[in-house]
Amino acid sequence: MRDKEMTFREKTHWVAMVVLTLVFGWFFIHSHTALPRGPEHLAASGGLLMFSTIGIIIAMSIIIGFIAARNPQDAHLAADERERSIHWRGTHYAYYPAVIGMWLCIWLIFSGYDRVTLLYSLLGVVVLCELVRIGSQLWLYRREA
Amino acid sequence: MALPFTNAIRTLRFLTGEMTQAELGERVGVTRQTIAAIEQGKYSPSLEVAFRIALVFGKPLDAVFIWQEPPAP
Repeated sequence: MRDKEMTFREKTHWVAMVVLTLVFGWFFIHSHTALPRGPEHLAASGGLLMFSTIGIIIAMSIIIGFIAARNPQDAHLAADERERSIHWRGTHYAYYPAVIGMWLCIWLIFSGYDRVTLLYSLLGVVVLCELVRIGSQLWLYRREA
Repeated sequence: MALPFTNAIRTLRFLTGEMTQAELGERVGVTRQTIAAIEQGKYSPSLEVAFRIALVFGKPLDAVFIWQEPPAP
């Protein structure tokens, strides 16, 4: 896969996919293995989530800024019809896990699960939807490349 | 899924002084990658982009995009 075969947007999608997987992978593993159990777990999870979110924003800004600086002409190009179509289709595919995930979370609420379980379930749904969206968009980019 | 039409973009680019995909993309208003996808038959462009490509080469639409499936009975 040559660098020149990808548009700026496809490169940013690869960055988002890798950063999301690494940061949220670390978040879920770390919060289950290293955070204190008991009532303080929820607050600690919240802090870790904030730390992870800021980490994602900083990491993506630096990497995407670096990619844009290497090829500013590409970075300033507006998305064309093919890229917009890929974006819409990817977002559409992510709708299905979002709906299933929301119903699962509603079921958890009515089943009396605690707030920590609900927090991780909601976060899991959000991350899964993002991965489906970005993953399907990357698949569409590669299929048409 | 294969598209029901082919195109003569590669030939027309050659005939217009080996115009690059990037140059054609710039004149049409799409990325080089989109021109490559159209040329390889992997992406079906909108009617507007198809007309813009034909206009760049100064050809009618059906000289650039050639329908291949037989007409419905």
